[in-house]
Amino acid sequence: MPIISRVLILGDGAAGTIMANKLRLLTDRKEVDITVIGNSPKHYFKPDGVHIPFKLKKYQNSIKPTRFLFNYGVNYVQDEVTGINVENRNVGTRSGKQFGYDYLIIATGNRFDPDEIPGYATEAHHFYDLQHSIELGNSLDKFQGGNIVIGPSSIPYQCPPAPYEFTFLLDQYLRSRGIRDKTNIHYMYPLNRVFTIENVSNFVEKLFEEKGIETHTLFNVESVNPDTKEVLSLEGESMKYDLLVLVPPHKGQKVITESGLAGKSGYIDVDRHKLNYGKFDDVFAIGDATNLPISKAGATAHFESEYLANRLAHDISGGIYDEIYNGEVACTTITGSGKAITLYFSYDRPPRASFQSKMDYLLKWTSADTYFSGMLRGVM
Amino acid sequence: MSEEVKPNKVVDARGSFCPGPLMELIKEYKQAAVGDVISVYSTDTGTKRDAAAWINKSGNELIGVFERNGYYEVVMKKKR
Repeated sequence: MPIISRVLILGDGAAGTIMANKLRLLTDRKEVDITVIGNSPKHYFKPDGVHIPFKLKKYQNSIKPTRFLFNYGVNYVQDEVTGINVENRNVGTRSGKQFGYDYLIIATGNRFDPDEIPGYATEAHHFYDLQHSIELGNSLDKFQGGNIVIGPSSIPYQCPPAPYEFTFLLDQYLRSRGIRDKTNIHYMYPLNRVFTIENVSNFVEKLFEEKGIETHTLFNVESVNPDTKEVLSLEGESMKYDLLVLVPPHKGQKVITESGLAGKSGYIDVDRHKLNYGKFDDVFAIGDATNLPISKAGATAHFESEYLANRLAHDISGGIYDEIYNGEVACTTITGSGKAITLYFSYDRPPRASFQSKMDYLLKWTSADTYFSGMLRGVM
Repeated sequence: MSEEVKPNKVVDARGSFCPGPLMELIKEYKQAAVGDVISVYSTDTGTKRDAAAWINKSGNELIGVFERNGYYEVVMKKKR
């Protein structure tokens, strides 16, 4: 039987890889051609970024060669997407190739834009990529006490709990080095609480109080002054730092804006239940690339891919699939002292956060293995 | 504020959930001039409290929070 559908996936991160592998498991490779275009030679398990600065994990176990992560029957093209024309069903790449499709799935993720905040590039540390996580670890090794200021520079950003997870691990690390009493930890957040979701925020705020972590809410970072070592807010406040750990400003990819699929933010508006773009029933976006009001996280990409792979598999074979995606996300987040909590939520159901456990921490601890061997492969 | 007040800028964040409407308002605020009146429409009830708190803390003027037909309107004046 000849190929009846060509599925083109843009992006080789969590969303693109899970989507390709899940769809491959659900379709016949003689009938459905699946091609992924991406330009990351290595695939990094980003949640380990909060552990690496404290040497709690070896970074070598958090990265794998991207080309080995696709199931048999998925075509992987290492190239950069330079143009997307959804009217003509065509995608162009840096090497000059052109790709047509029957279904297009955009999973191009985020990019960091440090220039958005004056002073950021030379002063701020972060743990959102492997290089910066290692560099932050080196700075922490030299740290002997003073003010550490932590927080997101803006919203949205990947893995919303990561800044507070890092803060709990930092508190633990400083205590183990015997310098916690010489250090003030300041946690700042752009909203009038310490996390986007109110009941999780209440829970985290209580733990911060117990651990002596100071909170500064409604602090939207405007600039960083390298001379005075101060971070300045849009609200007119400032905070002195000896070590600044600031989540970099995030945006969608330039090619998305340049192709007219999104405004300046670079995030694509999709139907919140069907994940298709605008009037097009053959163009979808998943993962961090979307403008959906849910976490930018691997867990979100996982749930979205599960829905979309099933929907496309039914669609291609002429079946009916009347399920919708309802914003389901599950994530396990560290709360310090060897414990974690798992949050389940959707568009309509806020998460409950009341039960910390060592078992959840174990799940989090081993999640890189589960991710590479199960989740990415599309078998979970 | 009377119904006839015309804001210089309107942010329509209806359908977006917290913290979307507040972040959209802040984005618009950054581009506005001192004296501009900015209005944000939101269907998320949390916006009433979050936006008002931010407007007060940032030293701007909260003109009012109004219940419209199926959504809220928060109106502010940029003072700094």
